[in-house]
Amino acid sequence: MSLSAATEELKIDWSIQEDEDRIGEFQGRIDRRELVEPGDWMPHNYRVGMLRVAEHHANSEIVGALPEGEWITRAPSLRRKLALIAKVQDEVGHGQMLYRVSQDLGKTRDQMLRDLITGKTRYHNVFNYPAPTWADVAMIQWLIDGAAILNQKSLAEGSCGPYIRIMKRINMEEAFHFKSGEDMVLTLMSGTRRQKQMCQEAFDRWWWPTIMFFGPPDKESTKTGPFMVWRIKTATNDTLRQKFIDRFVPAALDLGLKIHISVKDENGIIKRKPDGTLDQIEDPELRYDEEAGHWRFSRPDWDEFYRVINGDGPCNKQRVALRRFSYEQGAWVRRTVLGQYAGLPPSRN
Amino acid sequence: MNTVPDNLKTPLVELLLTVADDKLMLGHRNSDWTGLAPILEEDIAFSSLAQDEIAHAAEFYKLAADLLESDPDKLAYGRKPDEYRCAAVVELPDEFDWSVAIARQFFCDHFDLLRLERLAGSSYKPLAALAKRLVAEERVHVEHADRWIRHLGGGDDDARQKTQAALDKLAPHAAMLFEPTIGQSELEAAGVYPAGKRDMFEQWSADLCAVAKDADVRLEVSRPPAGASGGRSGKHSQAFAGLLDEMCEVYRIEPEAAW
Repeated sequence: MSLSAATEELKIDWSIQEDEDRIGEFQGRIDRRELVEPGDWMPHNYRVGMLRVAEHHANSEIVGALPEGEWITRAPSLRRKLALIAKVQDEVGHGQMLYRVSQDLGKTRDQMLRDLITGKTRYHNVFNYPAPTWADVAMIQWLIDGAAILNQKSLAEGSCGPYIRIMKRINMEEAFHFKSGEDMVLTLMSGTRRQKQMCQEAFDRWWWPTIMFFGPPDKESTKTGPFMVWRIKTATNDTLRQKFIDRFVPAALDLGLKIHISVKDENGIIKRKPDGTLDQIEDPELRYDEEAGHWRFSRPDWDEFYRVINGDGPCNKQRVALRRFSYEQGAWVRRTVLGQYAGLPPSRN
Repeated sequence: MNTVPDNLKTPLVELLLTVADDKLMLGHRNSDWTGLAPILEEDIAFSSLAQDEIAHAAEFYKLAADLLESDPDKLAYGRKPDEYRCAAVVELPDEFDWSVAIARQFFCDHFDLLRLERLAGSSYKPLAALAKRLVAEERVHVEHADRWIRHLGGGDDDARQKTQAALDKLAPHAAMLFEPTIGQSELEAAGVYPAGKRDMFEQWSADLCAVAKDADVRLEVSRPPAGASGGRSGKHSQAFAGLLDEMCEVYRIEPEAAW
């Protein structure tokens, strides 16, 4: 079985029988930190697992382009407008490279784009939250891209050759995005009272979704075990989450931001109390644990996480609908340029 | 010359703002497609075109700002609608119709290239130097637009009809790219905006029609009606007010603040 075995059912199947010597030899290569290249033999579940990771990642890049893309036409200076187009363009470029890797793992691009808009596959949960102000763009670049770098640095230590080569390139570009985000946050926090407030409110909207960005707690994460043995993943969700907290809590406090726990409405916007103030408190668990050398924080709202991941977040429908709009609107163009390879219209389920 | 005689200052500012406004609004409209274009590879290409146009605009605003003792962002974001000088063809929304986006690009890039080639011979040195630098990039834009017109025109009936409809829709607006800027004849006489080898409209028309012929689509372009006044005189379409409100939404929250 090789990477190009495209006709095979692309499902994880732990009951599948494969030659034990080959599996042992494969595991040996992984343990010796050799890279798996297209054309090498690999276990079925490795190929499918890797495809899922790469496809999910590709989907996340092109859906992730949407919340920030909305702000390109409203960017408040020529420099910010240029930087934001370039930034979103990078995300689309990451999507393109990751779809190419996924194509090599056995699935056509058109099938992936259709599965995305029919809800058969997912994208990163964090993009189901709204970006109602310019400061949200700053937070996405600072927090989300900052978190993505931590996550992707660990993925770049993985075993799939084409994927990790792209991951290294992506991380280089993400470092620019992070710097741009940091610069935007700094500008707003050194600005007028109104700008500072806009920045704090955006921070409140994105802080907890970013903490949940790393996925469910390790004890609830079903994928982590086997994927770590094959080095599809190289760090657990909780390890990465703590790393993020230790880096970003002091950075946020230094900038004058407060870390709140907020009550949000169904649109992801923080509610107001009858007296007009925001319905939030400072995180009561937040403190530096000298002994452990880590920052402590409140337990994220995992109920919200599962609710959003299962489709009931503030922007799930809007994001998928916009991807579908783009897919349908561009169908005739792909037909013209790509002919028979352009694929069929998506089902309407 | 490195400085402008006082009597040419106002006409030159008019010309610089015209070029900058055309490019900014075209780039702005193009950037609407970032993340949503029909093909990922083209999405990336179109975003690069948008960046080029906006970066070019920023350079022209800078030249104008130097003469006005203003700054480029103030010129880009801080004027009243009737102070903008862009032509109607860059103001119109494309409703996410790729054929309209490409047709717009086709008319504007060909025009822009000829305009930059003329400006590259300007007697005002800072302008000539800038235009010389941008001509190479603009040529790539023209190649890109031409290739798409040929692709779409050479597609099936549906694709050809869409392309035809887009060209028919935009051609009358595109003519207004040639509306003279205020004081243009004085700049021409002084060599600040020298004439090209051939009449600019004739060249533009011939270049466009050659590509249209290859693409098997009809194209009729005309000069603007005598005395017609549009974007170059600050008269804009209904769509422009909406475009400007959207573009300046954040800037206007705190126009004096750094963003």
